[in-house]
Amino acid sequence: MATNYKFERLNAGRDYIADNYDAPLSLSGMATYSYMSPYHFLRVFKNTYGETPNEFLIRLRVEQAKKMLITENFSVSEICEKVGYTSLGSFSSLFLKQVGMAPTVYRRKLWALSAESYRFPSQAIPACYAYNFLGKSTN
Amino acid sequence: MITSIAHTTIYVLNQDEALDFYKNKLGFEVGDDMKVEGDFRWLTVYPKSNSQLQLVLAEPKEGPMFTKDSAEKIRSLIEEGAFGAGVFETENCQKTYEELVAKGVEFMQPPTEQLYGVEAMGIDNSGNWFSLVQR
Repeated sequence: MATNYKFERLNAGRDYIADNYDAPLSLSGMATYSYMSPYHFLRVFKNTYGETPNEFLIRLRVEQAKKMLITENFSVSEICEKVGYTSLGSFSSLFLKQVGMAPTVYRRKLWALSAESYRFPSQAIPACYAYNFLGKSTN
Repeated sequence: MITSIAHTTIYVLNQDEALDFYKNKLGFEVGDDMKVEGDFRWLTVYPKSNSQLQLVLAEPKEGPMFTKDSAEKIRSLIEEGAFGAGVFETENCQKTYEELVAKGVEFMQPPTEQLYGVEAMGIDNSGNWFSLVQR
């Protein structure tokens, strides 16, 4: 485990990624905020958080894209840009890999499930919560 | 075989205020914050070093789970401090305690040597107790 001081420095780099996920980020740029060399930052980040800085960045971008696909009426290309990707192809490939379906398919599927416009369907949360808070059964 | 715990619930009085506390005071990250049909807000947070266990910050409201009376009772019990939010681990209890006190987090017990480590006991802005433990 990292020492407390090192953890604080790591958190600064992680916060920088979280605050700027929609901008072009490089490993060396991220590492600067933790006062570490890129390789050292990569290794300690992975050891501490269980994912690499890039995996963390992709997770943030995909989660934000999922949210925007459901709650906003932007095109997939617009969402791609808004979450920090310049290539629609790269974004679509990453989304497919992370979510298991293309962005358009994800949007179509969840919009079809939801009874209300621009709201996530109850199927998007664990069934025990949907049952307890929304009275929704999986059957 | 069950391999891990993914979500557990903390009942809070107000989700906006709880989010401010867990994010800006305790330093947690937001997992999900989304409106689900039926006006239910699915709000989860997690400590930066462990995204695998997410805390669901939920308001007890009248609905399928609670009658109006039950929801009010739960809210009253939260305010009375009848519930615990769990045990949060830290590498340095004294230092984290001082940082959190500086941010305005209320503690009922300062860092104290226990059989299982150094522990402080705090309370969130709803009234849920939590332990801060250095093992």
